[in-house]
Amino acid sequence: MNKDVVIEVRNLSVSRSGSLVIKDANFDVMKGDYFGIVGPNGGGKTTLLLSILGQIPRMSGSIRLFSKDIEDFDEWEKVAFVPQDAINFDANFPLSVRELVSLGRLGRNPIGRRLKKRDWEEVDAALEFMGLSEVADKRIGELSGGQKQRMFVAMALVRDPEVIILDEPVAGIDAITQEKFYQKMSDLNQRRGITIMMVSHDLSAVFCRMSKVICVNKEVNVAEIRPDVDIEGVLRKAYGEHFHFVFHRHECKGEFKA
Amino acid sequence: MTSFTYPSISLMELLGYQFFQNAILGGIMAGFACAWIGLFLVLRKEAMIVDGVAHTAFGGVALGLLMGVDPLITALGISTVSVFGMSYMKRKGLAESDSAIALILAIGFSTGLIIISVAGGFSVDLFSYLFGSILTISRSDLLMILILGIVIVAFLMLLHRELLAITFDERSARMMGVPVNAISAMFNLIVAITITLSIKIIGIILVVALIVIPALTALQLRVSFSKTVASTIIIGLVSVVAGIIISSFYNVAASGIIVFTMVLIYLATAALVRVKSR
Repeated sequence: MNKDVVIEVRNLSVSRSGSLVIKDANFDVMKGDYFGIVGPNGGGKTTLLLSILGQIPRMSGSIRLFSKDIEDFDEWEKVAFVPQDAINFDANFPLSVRELVSLGRLGRNPIGRRLKKRDWEEVDAALEFMGLSEVADKRIGELSGGQKQRMFVAMALVRDPEVIILDEPVAGIDAITQEKFYQKMSDLNQRRGITIMMVSHDLSAVFCRMSKVICVNKEVNVAEIRPDVDIEGVLRKAYGEHFHFVFHRHECKGEFKA
Repeated sequence: MTSFTYPSISLMELLGYQFFQNAILGGIMAGFACAWIGLFLVLRKEAMIVDGVAHTAFGGVALGLLMGVDPLITALGISTVSVFGMSYMKRKGLAESDSAIALILAIGFSTGLIIISVAGGFSVDLFSYLFGSILTISRSDLLMILILGIVIVAFLMLLHRELLAITFDERSARMMGVPVNAISAMFNLIVAITITLSIKIIGIILVVALIVIPALTALQLRVSFSKTVASTIIIGLVSVVAGIIISSFYNVAASGIIVFTMVLIYLATAALVRVKSR
């Protein structure tokens, strides 16, 4: 098997509450991919992610992470996940930003080990990379929505992961902050070589910045984002034939992959 | 009409008495352990488990008195069974958290009442467990309190980061590789130990105050987690030590004074925080 395959999904079907949510999905996520996941609400995007993460059982098919069947996979420190509802925490919870981000080191260290100087250096480096150094000592409930999202990415980063999976990280955040967030994720992908899978409803951002896209609406269609690929055809399979997609490719400012 | 008598003894003289040394040592250990555990219970929104388990422990105390064994040992056994029972009912969806607490509390307390009546009625000893009797704890009580306290503090020092991660977001902690089930089970056991440890100090009725109020007070300060832990412990220790000293001077029930001191600190903190935020 190609060792550059980070996630291999074959003939995956998943049902929830008795109804089929994912039907016969097949795709590979390669090392260094910047993978967008799009599709209508209720189409099964989150279900797909949770099944890849082993959080919900599958009906049939196989999932392999880093060349290991998910049942045998035990290197979860390589995989970081930022869930959709991460920012909806109790705003009164007594944690500083730095303290929360430091919890990300738990998976990397043996149980009960105290944090060492190197751990705190990693925490401070992640905070700096995500532009949160100035709010490091603030309580987590005092941050804005965009800062909270970046805080959870920083928490993921201190695990030193090889892949980061994000479920709608910019939902409810203003357009400028969204753009900055996508820029940070591009930096992570390009400069650090971290594989990224991200659910997003922002089709422009997906097609401007990402290398591959998965369209999910029970059926899962994968496409590389290249000029010779009929992206609109792939999208219609997920959103329906009556939808028309207008891409302002000139707005990608030279970062459009196609 | 009852009137307070002015103390005719100094603090230094009190420190020379063994009963006072026992009380201070036991109180410090209980105050320290209860406050720290209490912060996690409050953040997990499980504060009322303490009240449920403490009342269930009444059954254990009654059983111990009936059988002629140390009531704290039987109370520890019953507390452990009850805290795991509540946790099981909640996990399996057999009852909501508050309903599970009410049910287990009712079973434990009613069993205790039956045992007491079969044994021939209430005794002075039983009252000391209901309302606490820190000023009469023996060397053997103190030894048991210190051993249990060291177990609690060792658990918290070793696993407090993992416990914090579970308390903040159990699902994320699980995904980071934290053994959530094992640590939660250990935490349940530690809660039972903490409650048992506190029964002699503050009594079954008021143990919930010793565990919950310092955390509620510290949380008003809106500071980081490490500072919240430190504040919670300081508030717990100050209240317990002040309560023991005041009750020794004025011959007033120690548990009442300890809780009253905690409530005063809580109210003063609430007032200061409000004034400061204006």
